[in-house]
Amino acid sequence: MATQYDVIVIGTGAGGGMAIRTLCAAGLKVCALNAGRKLDPPKDFQYHRMPWDMPFRGFGSAQQQAQSIGYMDNEYVPNVWEHDLAYSVAPGTSWTWPRCFAVGGKTNFWGRSSARFAEIDFKAASRDGLDVDWPVSYDDIAPYYSRVEQMIGVASTVQNRPSNPDGEYLPPIRFRCRDYILQAAAARAGIPYLPDRFAQLTVPYQGHPACHYCGNCTNGCDVGAFFSSPYFFLPDAEASGKLELRTNTLVREILVDRDGMARGAAYVDRVSRREVEVYGRAVVVAASCIESAHIMLNSKSRQWPTGIANSSGQLGRNLCDQLYGTTASGYLPQLLGTPSFPDNVSGASVAWLPRWQNLKTPAEEPFFRGYSMYPDGGCEEFPSYFDDIEGYGTSYREEIKRRYPTPLSFYVQAPSQRSDRNFVDIDPEKKDVYSIPEVRFHFEWDQNTLKMWEHAKQSSQEIFRQAGAVYQGHGEPQPPGTSLHETGTCRMGNDPRHFVTNRFGQTHDVPNLYVCDASVFLNCTDKTTTLSILAFSLRTSETIVENFRSGGHRSDDPATI
Amino acid sequence: MSLAVLASAAPGFSRWCCAFGDTREGAEQEGAEGRPARYAPQFFSLSEYRTVEVLTELILPSMEGSGAKEAGVAEFIDFWVKNDPPLQEQFRRGLEWLDRAGGNGRPFIELSPAEQQKILDRLAYRRYQRPEEKTGQLFFRLMRQYTVMGFYTTEIGLKSLDYPGLKFYPTSPGCPHPDNPEHVGL
Repeated sequence: MATQYDVIVIGTGAGGGMAIRTLCAAGLKVCALNAGRKLDPPKDFQYHRMPWDMPFRGFGSAQQQAQSIGYMDNEYVPNVWEHDLAYSVAPGTSWTWPRCFAVGGKTNFWGRSSARFAEIDFKAASRDGLDVDWPVSYDDIAPYYSRVEQMIGVASTVQNRPSNPDGEYLPPIRFRCRDYILQAAAARAGIPYLPDRFAQLTVPYQGHPACHYCGNCTNGCDVGAFFSSPYFFLPDAEASGKLELRTNTLVREILVDRDGMARGAAYVDRVSRREVEVYGRAVVVAASCIESAHIMLNSKSRQWPTGIANSSGQLGRNLCDQLYGTTASGYLPQLLGTPSFPDNVSGASVAWLPRWQNLKTPAEEPFFRGYSMYPDGGCEEFPSYFDDIEGYGTSYREEIKRRYPTPLSFYVQAPSQRSDRNFVDIDPEKKDVYSIPEVRFHFEWDQNTLKMWEHAKQSSQEIFRQAGAVYQGHGEPQPPGTSLHETGTCRMGNDPRHFVTNRFGQTHDVPNLYVCDASVFLNCTDKTTTLSILAFSLRTSETIVENFRSGGHRSDDPATI
Repeated sequence: MSLAVLASAAPGFSRWCCAFGDTREGAEQEGAEGRPARYAPQFFSLSEYRTVEVLTELILPSMEGSGAKEAGVAEFIDFWVKNDPPLQEQFRRGLEWLDRAGGNGRPFIELSPAEQQKILDRLAYRRYQRPEEKTGQLFFRLMRQYTVMGFYTTEIGLKSLDYPGLKFYPTSPGCPHPDNPEHVGL
């Protein structure tokens, strides 16, 4: 007889990793399915790989560039981003969908900004009347945020901002020259410029070494000095003897029993091409916001003709994303000719400009809610501003050197609003190489988000003016999908008629099916999603453990209407 | 493939590893390491390649013994263009244009340094640009782009900028001017 696991967990990233860790620690027998291979960080992350170690110097060959989806899909870390599985995009939609198939998913390479959501985010609808409130309050989630911060280590400072609840922090990364200049300039423009909440270890922490500030982060950390599921969660789970991790397994659908309850998953073994079934008493979907919806929509049965747990019709709907784009770029003339400085030590921004709009009242600005921004620039490895300088010869080289410490830009992180027009469904015709029907994106930026984009450009230019910076222009909104912060395809809510899961991430229709990723979020905020995925997944995972202990997966959540 | 194998296959490598002797002769001679002492271009013809070499050295000349020549930038460009077919025609047509730009029937590399500089000035600086020389201007920009890409991705190229990353720092390196937050008069 086939092995019966307690829980099948689909996905090993932030949400899945947290579920695996929590369930195994509670003694439950877990089978984890991951679409790609396991990385060997010291080998795959090419310890401090230099551009001249690669034939195309890190730019990637023309073929690699054409294939690449997302900025992290590059010559430094090849063969971890999905290129074999097609997805479908409706006419008029320009969604790009970077998928890291390696064990640990995008936590291997993530940007590490880790701010908590606030009451102003969870109860935004009550303030401005748009959409609906989350079915949780900040006080419900705050203890989980604290525990996650203790697990992963987040560096920051206490900032006392209502939109940015303070957490439990390691010492912050120090400000660089540019940060002091920009902080003073932003203050004159009435804009906060503060240390980011940054999941990077500034001190040795819980057996993990402190960061050595090499700046290689987004190509993967070979010593595990920032949180990733393979470094922080999976080793303990594997040591517990409770985990079976199956790699290169592409889930086709969730299997159901006669009553429509989940009984396991069917997957394709991508190495042998065999079709395999695996059985469990409960199933956790944590394959990413889009892929979780894709799998559930493809899990059609007599009981669930439009996809498992979709009696509300809301599965795949309510897709939200954050608009990313460079709002201003140029340089800081006061740093011309100064010695090169390790600005890029964290491989990302050490500072951010957290939401300052619509805080006192919901209608201070010509748009609803708010956005945040991040600074970028400094001594980055390659002098990408070379084309702004005229000439050639020694004077050209000298100018490249003089400009090296000065580049400055800002980019915006602006949440879209829920809309009936933004969703994913299953393409009625297209199938991928394993004959799995493809997910299809329908998405366009709403007017509110575009107003934020305009506002952010003005704000950035004002900081440039105040800093005496030379403004050279702005970029355009990046295609949706760029931020990797999409939310909302399995939203949580108390009313089973309108929401896919309850407030604990348990699907209303199928009590032994749980969702542990950003698809349960009601919407995007001005903050990144990983810390919140971890907090909500911890909460859901403990609900699962509790339900196993009390003898079953009850759907009678007292909050359910 | 090991890193060492990758690196030895990488363009420019023969320049950094092998003694580089006579630049005009010996294309078939073996170097000390069993590699040709003179790089044999993979895409460009020999005469095109010599022009590319000269251009890279004019764009990023040696300063304190470090420049496009020492970094093997021409090898990098040859490798890149060979692997990027849409670029091949642009480079080839640009080089042809350049050989006619002197106006006296002599190819670019046979012009005097002053004549060469005069042509490049016309392409590089807006104040000298001629509207009928768009082809040449675009080619110069392309050539400069790949020269910059080939130089500032080598060890000596990044050293010339004092690139401070990919090193070990015991603590996060903070601003060394705490008394001058606005950083005026540095």
